[in-house]
Amino acid sequence: MDESQATPQPTQPQAPTPAGGKKILCVEDEFFISELYSRALTKAGYQVKVESDGLKGLSEALTDSYDIILLDLMLPNMVGIDILRHLREERPNLKAKVVITTNLEQSKENRAEMEKLADGYLVKAEITPKQLVEFLNSIK
Amino acid sequence: MDHMNKLRGQIRWYLLGVIVSVAALGVSTYGLVSTLGVESIASMAIALAVSLLIAYVAAELASRYVMNPLKILEQAVLHVTPKHDGTPAPNLEQVKLGRELLTSLVLQVYQLASSTDVGQHSNSSGEDLRAKSIASNLPLPLLVMDKMGSIIFANEASQKYLMKTASELQDKNVYDVLDLSFQTEQTLDTWLNDVRATKVVATQTWEQVRLKLPDSKNSLQFDMAAYYNKDNPSRVETMLVLFDHTDSYNQRDQGLSFIAIAVHELRTPITLLRGYIEVFGDELKDKLNPELHDFMEKMQASAQQLSAFVNNILNVARVEANQLVLELSEQNWPEIVKAVGHDLDLRAHIKGKTIEYYIADNLPTVGADRVSAYEVLANLLDNAIKYSNKSQKIEVRSYLTKDGVIETTVTDQGMGIPESVIPHLFERFYRNHRTQAQVGGTGLGLYLSKAIVEAHGGHIWVRSKEGQGTVVGFTLQPYALVAGKLKGDSAGIVRQAHGWIKNHSLYRR
Repeated sequence: MDESQATPQPTQPQAPTPAGGKKILCVEDEFFISELYSRALTKAGYQVKVESDGLKGLSEALTDSYDIILLDLMLPNMVGIDILRHLREERPNLKAKVVITTNLEQSKENRAEMEKLADGYLVKAEITPKQLVEFLNSIK
Repeated sequence: MDHMNKLRGQIRWYLLGVIVSVAALGVSTYGLVSTLGVESIASMAIALAVSLLIAYVAAELASRYVMNPLKILEQAVLHVTPKHDGTPAPNLEQVKLGRELLTSLVLQVYQLASSTDVGQHSNSSGEDLRAKSIASNLPLPLLVMDKMGSIIFANEASQKYLMKTASELQDKNVYDVLDLSFQTEQTLDTWLNDVRATKVVATQTWEQVRLKLPDSKNSLQFDMAAYYNKDNPSRVETMLVLFDHTDSYNQRDQGLSFIAIAVHELRTPITLLRGYIEVFGDELKDKLNPELHDFMEKMQASAQQLSAFVNNILNVARVEANQLVLELSEQNWPEIVKAVGHDLDLRAHIKGKTIEYYIADNLPTVGADRVSAYEVLANLLDNAIKYSNKSQKIEVRSYLTKDGVIETTVTDQGMGIPESVIPHLFERFYRNHRTQAQVGGTGLGLYLSKAIVEAHGGHIWVRSKEGQGTVVGFTLQPYALVAGKLKGDSAGIVRQAHGWIKNHSLYRR
């Protein structure tokens, strides 16, 4: 139903990993970080698409063709929390698990809202790319 | 009035009894003396004399008995007068005559005394006016409520401060008019419920109370003092005085948001450093000579330490702004210890230290904020790594105490801490001057650990001898003990050291 590049390639024999060709959308404006993340995630068997703009990230997420969405909060054109609000409103049955990845500290109010809307939360400085992979592998 | 009539009746019967007894004694004396053959005039004189004597004794006793209630009342008045502070409180148990009337009078004396500032008479209208004028013109917002929580008085400063007219406040329920939020668990409501059940007079203060103003995004921030008086005859049950600190508290909040921004900016390069170092470590694993391998590990440990320190800065700012928020949940403590060990082992390794763990296998789950509890142990271990430059071994022990709490200790055989310094160890930025020259660090770790441990309801302690090493220990409460106090709204969220994830077997959107 989506573009062909999004489907796993059956010709390549792969060791069964928790990733299993799952599709990840990484909405992240810091290029160095998205580069590191997509490198580690691809190596672990995920298919990664990066968006560095908030609005583009939202329209990509709205296609509902991802298993996991990594969502930064400080983004150009639309901030992460607004993307999440739109996403929940317009796609109440969204397939993807949304994991917020941020270095920004949250106020009490924001934290409560994120616990309601997101499926996971990570402080980027606290984890290495490999630990990110482990974290995502644990998502069922 | 009923009590008064009852007392009058009691006195009437008492006096009647005395008179009749004296008369009867007089008549019987006369009869007795006449039977002995004494002349009737002499008999009458003797009877009269005996009657007079007995009447005098009876009158003396009766006057004392009847005066007793008045004496008790005098004692009560003297007792509440500050000038006669030696007078003991009257003992109503001893009273037989008019006990009901006296009990109610004495209670009124005490109530009047407590409502008019001990021992001062306020029933004159001049005093009343003066009190009213003081309250109205007090340059601090003052609100007075009755026992239903209705505002019965709001002075001019309070109307101005809350931007409401007198009629918008008068006779309104305080909770309807004021949308207050408190920093601590104890709110005005919980405090009032508490004192209504247990106290006659009580006072309380709160820091940084926030009040949302209607029709505006702004809120007021102030300290608040409360006075409570049970069953006050003038309906004054609760008085609230507000001390405005909106500007300074806002500044403090903005200070935190400046730190939040600074932390964000610091964390981006840390994220990258840690990411690239990991890639290099992986890719070059087999190509590096031992020296370069060692350098790589040191680089990795340093980046990790930097990220931990940034968290400390943020947390200290939170503690100072009274905004340290803990998310207590059921946690497997040995797992957290393992996670800390996993992250700290490298730091220990590059400093040539080994960490040994002795975890009792009967530990119950703890009620803890995973991230904060992790940070406490990480800080203590980090200190042990930094300050034990001569010895190699660091021991982490965790066990159940006889009081049923989980105690964890970190022991090093390092340089130890002089006795004079120990009391200051948990002060902010305190560092032992002697070690300052040899070891880096800010002294934030113990200050922060203490705040976190105490916010968990535990305590933290240090035992040390110079040259013989140091033991730092802290306690956490078993989950079963705190479970009742936890809110159930974050069910399904599994907290990990560096973030959280929803447990989808429990959680469905």
